[in-house]
Amino acid sequence: MIELHHIWKQYQKPYWALSDVTLQINDGDFYFITGPSGSGKTTLLKTIFREILPTEGQILVNGVNILKIRDSRIYTLRRTMGIVFQDFRLMFHKTVFDNVAVPLQVVGVGRKEIRRRVFGTLQKVNLHQKMWEMPGRLSYGEQQRVAIARAVVNNPEIILADEPTGNLDPELAFEIVTLFKEFNKQGATVIIGSHDRELIRHFGDNILFLQKGKIVGKEAHA
Amino acid sequence: MIEKLKFFLGATANNLWQFRTRNLFSVTIICLSFLTVGIFLMLTNNLRATARTLATNMNIAFYLDPKLPPETVEAIRQEISRPAFVESVTLVSPDEARERFRMSFPELADIAAGLKGNPFPPAFELRVAARASASKEVVAFVEGMKKRPGVTDVLFNQDWVEKMQGFSRLAGAIGAFLGGILILTSFFIISNVVKLNVFARKNEIEILRFVGGTNLFIRIPFWLEGIALGLLGSLLALALLFVVIQVFPLYLGASLGALQELLRFRYPSLPQALLLLGGGAATGWIGSATSVSKFLKV
Repeated sequence: MIELHHIWKQYQKPYWALSDVTLQINDGDFYFITGPSGSGKTTLLKTIFREILPTEGQILVNGVNILKIRDSRIYTLRRTMGIVFQDFRLMFHKTVFDNVAVPLQVVGVGRKEIRRRVFGTLQKVNLHQKMWEMPGRLSYGEQQRVAIARAVVNNPEIILADEPTGNLDPELAFEIVTLFKEFNKQGATVIIGSHDRELIRHFGDNILFLQKGKIVGKEAHA
Repeated sequence: MIEKLKFFLGATANNLWQFRTRNLFSVTIICLSFLTVGIFLMLTNNLRATARTLATNMNIAFYLDPKLPPETVEAIRQEISRPAFVESVTLVSPDEARERFRMSFPELADIAAGLKGNPFPPAFELRVAARASASKEVVAFVEGMKKRPGVTDVLFNQDWVEKMQGFSRLAGAIGAFLGGILILTSFFIISNVVKLNVFARKNEIEILRFVGGTNLFIRIPFWLEGIALGLLGSLLALALLFVVIQVFPLYLGASLGALQELLRFRYPSLPQALLLLGGGAATGWIGSATSVSKFLKV
């Protein structure tokens, strides 16, 4: 469970990127955070995986106050999460396999097990035939699927995706969110930051509306 | 653990290959630095060994007045045989001295034969134990004997031993100074090369952080990279040093003449070679570690 209590974030005075955000996301939820550009979607996601610290407030992930975790121990939080970025953040000098294998190498999984799990995950995103390709040779949609495979290969409890369909055409975007939905069905909590109304209308179980850093609305369809 | 080690070694090898041009540059600088240190180390070794040889073969010659009666000569023999550092005492008669001169300088034999009398004085040749050579005790003894009536002159090669020891110390100091400066340069170059590599892999480092990589996990490949660069550089320096040892006498041998033996380079000993390699690895590691901790805020 993710709990945000009265989160405030200021990058520069007098503007508040987040203003008194209080939110509870239960295990297994599928959440869309939406709002116009500059509404605070990315800031909110970044505070959850502790890329940035809020100016005020408290964030609990599975009961642990993540703001009190020492910098040198942040990896314990990150290992429970899979993070997908709009710009994919792939290593272009490494193969698709190497990119997806990184979260497993970090925790010291054996080579055979890595092969088995990477292959299985790439099968799920339908990229197993391009396992030994370099990401630069793949299309945008395929690159994003590599990034998703990397985020889910470790079976994380929480998947955070910041504008994962921002660069994709509607058909590919639909395909990508369908993938997230499947991982959600397998038990992962999924939080997606997006301003794609069409997608949100189609997939949104829970929708959080942000504007100028404030929560201006919530919808739950589940 | 083994899996992680394999991963680190693989990542290091990849990184070394990926940035091979700048890595080659830093290996060359390390190599030249350690080659300089190695050459001076070799020179120091050589001068030390020469000084040791001179000291081991140290002889003192006491030239006597030719008119001395035999009992005075005997008294002098007993006097110079007394100290504990004396290994042997030999009396060289004027005839033996002339014969030695004839053998040592055959081109001057005519001159020696043309002389009416024998100008060579009798002498006592004294062999000093190696452990005591050029010691204060020996010097004091020689100084005392110089003043003894009946002894006209003393030939003592202590000056040479001292000079060689002095040269050896000087070479060591120059080596340490130049080597120190060059090693410091290598250290900064490695540090900057690793810094460039850190910047070039900023994206990768960020990804490692997001997927839960520990600080150590992110740093180890950079440390290994620094160690590998240092080790490669010093290994190359050692190989070049062996080439220099092989080629130097061939190149300069003929022109060196009597100095050939003096400048015959010796291979560095195993501990010295290991020290050079260890020094290279340590330089690489310190260079990369400082750079990583300074520029990799993880």
